[in-house]
Amino acid sequence: MTLVSPSASSEREVVAPGRLRFALRAPSHDERSALILLAPLLIVLAVVAAFPILYSFATSLFDVNLVRPMRQPFVWFDNYVQMLGETRIRIALWRTAVFTVITVAGTTLTALAVALFLNETFRGRRILAILLLVPWATPSVVNGLMWKWIYDSNYGVLNGLLSALGLIDHYKIWLADPDKTLYLIANAAIWKQMPLSAILLLVTMKSIPEDLYKAARVDGANVLQRFLHVTLPALRPGLMLVLVYETMISIRHFDLFMLLTQGGPGNASATLSWQIYVETFRSLHFGTGSALAYILAFITLILGALMIRLGWRREAR
Amino acid sequence: MTSTAATIRLRGKSLMLALISAVFAFYVAGPVYWLVKTSLEPEARVTAIPPTLLPQQPSLANFEAIVRTNDPITYQNRRQADPATGNFVPSNARNLLPSLWNSLVVGLAVALLNIALSATAAYAIALIKFRGRDLALYSILVSRVIPDIALIVPLFLLMRGLGVLDTKGGLVMTYLAVTVPFTTFILINYFRSVPVDLYKAARIDGCSHLGVLRHVYLPLAMPAVVASLMFAFLTSWNEFLFALILTKSIQSQTLPIVISSFVLDFTINFSFVNAAGVLAIVPPVILAVLFERYIVSGLTAGAVKG
Repeated sequence: MTLVSPSASSEREVVAPGRLRFALRAPSHDERSALILLAPLLIVLAVVAAFPILYSFATSLFDVNLVRPMRQPFVWFDNYVQMLGETRIRIALWRTAVFTVITVAGTTLTALAVALFLNETFRGRRILAILLLVPWATPSVVNGLMWKWIYDSNYGVLNGLLSALGLIDHYKIWLADPDKTLYLIANAAIWKQMPLSAILLLVTMKSIPEDLYKAARVDGANVLQRFLHVTLPALRPGLMLVLVYETMISIRHFDLFMLLTQGGPGNASATLSWQIYVETFRSLHFGTGSALAYILAFITLILGALMIRLGWRREAR
Repeated sequence: MTSTAATIRLRGKSLMLALISAVFAFYVAGPVYWLVKTSLEPEARVTAIPPTLLPQQPSLANFEAIVRTNDPITYQNRRQADPATGNFVPSNARNLLPSLWNSLVVGLAVALLNIALSATAAYAIALIKFRGRDLALYSILVSRVIPDIALIVPLFLLMRGLGVLDTKGGLVMTYLAVTVPFTTFILINYFRSVPVDLYKAARIDGCSHLGVLRHVYLPLAMPAVVASLMFAFLTSWNEFLFALILTKSIQSQTLPIVISSFVLDFTINFSFVNAAGVLAIVPPVILAVLFERYIVSGLTAGAVKG
């Protein structure tokens, strides 16, 4: 590991040497530089990311209960089995699915509409494009506070507006209604998540060559046909990205549940991420809490892989 | 005939666009307008039924109250304040300004450290050929797959072990790990879009790797750098869950933590809390508006390609 002449292998491609030789070869100058450049980031990630990830996975295999700190037996996957066997967890899984589907569908459709609209040229477009960044920049805590205030059953503007318009004849309890609460939280999530997706879709739209539209017009395609046969296929990579990203963040959403309802009323908005919080920080069952968190992680991973796979395969055809 | 039909259609289209513009502006800005509007009113107006569209008796009294919260709160002056008139201020309101400061310090530290770490790493992965390059890239990206909530307990233990629990330094470390994968990814994509000949030429001229990064790549990747800085700052400014568990006192509590403590309090003073909310919204919105071009081009570069 003494000095290696810097010019020796810097630009030369190493032509497939055997594995053994590969392992024995001293690192080239460039390789050492790369490692030195990467080291600070890898060290930070090893300490603050890799350690917690491995530690919590290990925890999920032990029966850790802070009420009983001295006895923490290794139980293999019992925590997982136990959690999946509980009705409240299965219901939480179902609620998470409902919330995710509503939020992803709502975000994607709104973002698509916004992107189509902002793709037109008209006066004031630029101001509206800047306005679009406001929800994106709003901290999630303020987002929660804001919607809690809008939905407020006594003084909230939602009741005020709807009754002024004559759409409701008496004030409604919004968040405290178990039939509505999940949808109202989803609405707040969509409001904040929509802008980034809209921007991604808008950028994809801008990359569609104008010639395609001209050709379609020559062929006599109307607006709807142009959208279906030109815009939508060209939008697929952007749409895939939006769908995967929105699914990933909706399925693990926590902040709004904490701020708006704390899982309530009753258990009406107790999604999986809320149950993880309760299991870990209220019941202090770290083992089962970590198991739940890893169930969520596995679901996310599988879902993401599936979506990418399906979207990619369709594109290939 | 055809020309009039065309103008009618054109006028119809612009009318349509104006209509959609109004709906769009209402949807995006309406909720924020309501927050700002109710932060400018005294509590008695805020809780009036039915609510009014324009602010009644607008004043900056709520914001003044935030600035004045450093006066010690005693039993006497707390009792004198009447909730109905809006003088009532949450007991921990004096934490608001220090937490604003904490948020700024943490956000700036994370943004600067983040760019230092992710730019060097992205440069190495994007331009230098070395064994384990793909492994390095994937291990950086995969660290964001596990939900945050799974990492809280080990992070708590880790920070306690390192003696940085309830400090700004502990938060900065955590947020670095949270933001670095995404900014590294953005910078790699951007660096790869720069012609590799520039790298080769600079290296042949005897420029060191850090020199190439500083004098060639960072200036060229300015949109991605600014977007990364913004992303790191805003993520730290907005983050809630980690800060909730890793901070205890005003030594390190950030703005979202103090604001959420108002929201989850028994007695909500809407006008005051809304003013605090406006305070938390203003810096990120100003940054977003100022750097709009960079955010859009920087965040989406490479991301859309595939």
